[in-house]
Amino acid sequence: MAPEQSPPGVRIRGLTVVYRTPAGELPAVSGVDLDLAPGTITGVVGESGSGKSTLALSLLNAVQPPGRIAAGSVEIDGLGDVVALGGEGLRRARGRHVGYVFQAAQNSLNPLKTVGKQVLDLGRSHGVENPRGLLADARDLLGRMGLDGARVLDSYQHELSGGMRQRVGIMLALVLNARLVVLDEPTTALDMITQATILRIVREVHAERGLTTLVITHDLGVVAEVADRLAVMYGGRVAEQGPTREVLAEPRHPYTRGLLGAIPRLVGDIGEAHALPGRPPTLADIPADGCVFRERCPLRMDVCETGRPPVVVSVSRSAACHAVRDDDGGRPAVAAATGEEQA
Amino acid sequence: MAVLLRRLAGHVARGFVMILVVTTISFLIIRSVPGDPLAARYQKLVEQGMAPDAAQRAVEALYGFTPKGGLWEQYLDYMGGLAHLDLGQSLSVPGAGVSTVLFSAAKWTVIPVLAGTLLSFLVGVVMGVYAAIKRTGVLGDLLAISGSLLHGVPQYVLALLLGAIFTTLVPILPAGGTADIMIDPGFTADYIGSLVQHATLPVVTYALAGYGGWILAMKSSVVTVLGDDFILAAELRGMKRSIVFRYLARNAILPLFTILALSLGLLFGGAIFIERIFNYPGLGLMLIDSINNRDYSLMGGAFLLITTAVVVANIAADLLYTVIDPRVRSGGEAA
Ligand SMILES: Nc1ncnc2c1ncn2[C@@H]1O[C@H](COP(=O)(O)OP(=O)(O)OP(=O)(O)O)[C@@H](O)[C@H]1O
Ligand code: SF4
Ligand SMILES: [Mg+2]
Repeated sequence: MAPEQSPPGVRIRGLTVVYRTPAGELPAVSGVDLDLAPGTITGVVGESGSGKSTLALSLLNAVQPPGRIAAGSVEIDGLGDVVALGGEGLRRARGRHVGYVFQAAQNSLNPLKTVGKQVLDLGRSHGVENPRGLLADARDLLGRMGLDGARVLDSYQHELSGGMRQRVGIMLALVLNARLVVLDEPTTALDMITQATILRIVREVHAERGLTTLVITHDLGVVAEVADRLAVMYGGRVAEQGPTREVLAEPRHPYTRGLLGAIPRLVGDIGEAHALPGRPPTLADIPADGCVFRERCPLRMDVCETGRPPVVVSVSRSAACHAVRDDDGGRPAVAAATGEEQA
Repeated sequence: MAVLLRRLAGHVARGFVMILVVTTISFLIIRSVPGDPLAARYQKLVEQGMAPDAAQRAVEALYGFTPKGGLWEQYLDYMGGLAHLDLGQSLSVPGAGVSTVLFSAAKWTVIPVLAGTLLSFLVGVVMGVYAAIKRTGVLGDLLAISGSLLHGVPQYVLALLLGAIFTTLVPILPAGGTADIMIDPGFTADYIGSLVQHATLPVVTYALAGYGGWILAMKSSVVTVLGDDFILAAELRGMKRSIVFRYLARNAILPLFTILALSLGLLFGGAIFIERIFNYPGLGLMLIDSINNRDYSLMGGAFLLITTAVVVANIAADLLYTVIDPRVRSGGEAA
């Protein structure tokens, strides 16, 4: 069923997205560089307001007013730069090339139509010549995800549970054979068991259909569960990225370390969890110069006030921080000092 | 289906109680209004020089009955009649049953009210969608302002204004009646043309009076639905604009159906002023005449008819809603 060609890669370069506010246009995403390697699952993690959804929407050039993409490009294999796309070309790319899955609790279905009718609408929108075949595909996909496909196609949104809706959302993102899939908070607001089920489905479907997948979440646990690579966002910027295992095992950016330190382990002393001090910035108080994380950073230095942190690259990882050196394998130069501070 | 029947039964029961209450109240009010039309008629005949008992017999012959007994007896009589769909005899139109008088007047109200309301609904809804989609532009603002202005003007002021303009200043429309009396009624182009001409002013008044409300209601409904996740979701799935538009319109129009049915019912009340102003012989004018003539059986009948219209409109609205909205149909959450 899945087409033979390889899954698409994505190259995001210098992406800046601004929202018009009473205080002028403010960046929610600013100068982001991120690659999604073909066939991988990339996780983007960050606190509320860090610009994750804005980034995700940019992949479909679908940032909603009063926002707009102010600079940068999003190159998708087989599509080109989606920032340059518009009109019918953009519409056709959505759904057909890039599938988008909404947050589970959101109501992403028309409440007045059955799921099946909406699958048919989707087919009509994309010139699918065999509507019966499309319905059969939809039924199979739902069955693959452990649902009674025929029954779900006959159901209205209000007749489905959160977990079922989420699977319907995934089905709608895949039924046109999109090979690039963006999932925004796929498990938020679901109970633990359903969360685990959805994540397993994401992993399995990703592998079976040969996808390139982007998972947006505020939950490091979700990323640890599914993602090959991980990007940590803060204040509209990528703080750190790299292979999930490596980043989690050995975080370099003070923010990543803070995030990890804030997770209470299942085994171990609850007292070992340190909540990050302070709150994430809102659009209005993201500093324009210097490091956006400095208000909450234990390693803050003078240079952090004025200089934008350099992106320190080593092999497959990178971190944007004045305190990270690449000569010692990317460890923060004053890591020892932090240890003492926190003790 | 079971849900549908259960809802229907509930409505019919509530409607029945409502009709009962309104009939009782109108019965009481009307009977306590001073002045007896039979006595007035009798008085008039005597003044015209008729002998007293001859006048008495003439009055009885004219109306076929005389109200007798206490209030309670009259009430039971009246309700008993209603149960057999007998609304009694008209006192001002000698020899005619109330229902006959009512129904001959009703068509001159029902058809223009229906035409005017549906016209304003269609135009208002379409313009409302437009005003919502273009709400940041000049055109959207203009539409919304036109809606607010028209919505603020009372119906009878509109009627007076339209009447003054089109029957006096630029006298291109007739000033009263349902058709030119010089034209023989029949299925002829002349007669139908004359009917349309005479109905134009009332229909346009109903339409203009309703239009403002529809445009505002639809605009706000569309804006609400535009903010719903499923619209963005449909766009992100690359749904065709026409399909997204249909999703939007169908969801936005849903709450308006209730208002539509209700306003149809209520408009029968509003027709009183309009028909008076345009001298258009519908239910409203008839009601005014019946009040002037102290024809209380006719009054009661008119109130009953108006109440029934509201009740029926309510039921129609709900059934319509049930048919369109799957959430109501299945009796599930109405989120
Ligand atoms: N329509 C809008 N108008 C103004 N500001 C907006 C708008 N949408 C988002 N923002 C701002 O942009 C920033 C990033 O928002 P975004 O939704 O991308 O964050 P997020 O990381 O997805 O957060 P969450 O975890 O809460 O979903 C936030 O500060 C938010 O307040
Ligand atoms: S750049 Fe400075 S403030 Fe920012 S994270 Fe690194 S050390 Fe902390
Ligand atoms: Mg978000």
